[in-house]
Amino acid sequence: MNDDRLHDAFKELRRAETAHVPSFKRLWDVEPALSRLRSRLRVGSTFAFAVVLLIVLAVAIIPRRPAAPSISTWRAPTDFLLQTPGRELLDSVPDLKGTRQ
Amino acid sequence: MQQEELERLHPASYAWALSCCRRDRSEAEEVLQDVYVKILEGKARFDGRSSLKTWLFAVIRRTAASRARRRSVRDLLLAKWAREQVVVRQVEYSDVAAILLTALQNLARRQREVLELVFYHDLTIEEAAIALNLSIGSARVHYQRGKKQLLAQLNGKLDR
Repeated sequence: MNDDRLHDAFKELRRAETAHVPSFKRLWDVEPALSRLRSRLRVGSTFAFAVVLLIVLAVAIIPRRPAAPSISTWRAPTDFLLQTPGRELLDSVPDLKGTRQ
Repeated sequence: MQQEELERLHPASYAWALSCCRRDRSEAEEVLQDVYVKILEGKARFDGRSSLKTWLFAVIRRTAASRARRRSVRDLLLAKWAREQVVVRQVEYSDVAAILLTALQNLARRQREVLELVFYHDLTIEEAAIALNLSIGSARVHYQRGKKQLLAQLNGKLDR
């Protein structure tokens, strides 16, 4: 393998790559403003897409809080402390006639 | 700078843009269009300190690199599935060209760039150094090491 063979191989590569060169006019004649607009639109749409994607991911990933219990069914976790011995006596009015005899 | 001069260099510019864009034809066209827009808008000015071709190649390389940076940020933002939707248009190569390309892709980026500028685009090592914003000494080292590795990789493969 020598330099000439290397040059030939590069020539072949150049031939393949320059066989379909886009026309100069097509690339040159683009209006700068149009190009800027296109570039901004591309950046804007990418950003918007990224934001939407982040929102969707956030909604899908962040765990939901359990629903708050209704106030009518809520019970304090320390309620059992009020269950003292003889508490049922306090739930009703004492029968004084019965105790007199 | 004359439009005719740029038109004369257009095929070489496109080929260099292809090289800077990993042989993606669509991306190379976009890069070249961006370069022409920069020139039209006066953001890139030829000051005559090097040859027009060397200067143009340096602008193409910088533009391709900055687009690649933007693209990598975009790819980070987008999910992998969205990235896979991008269709890469590539050139069809002969066997010899494909073998050479594979060997080139195994080289370090700087070595590949210097060798392509010298062997493909017929620049001198000094001109390649300017286009790549390197010192001449570094460009020479990249050239020698890259060529040695390339020849070792191609040894016997192209003679079939």
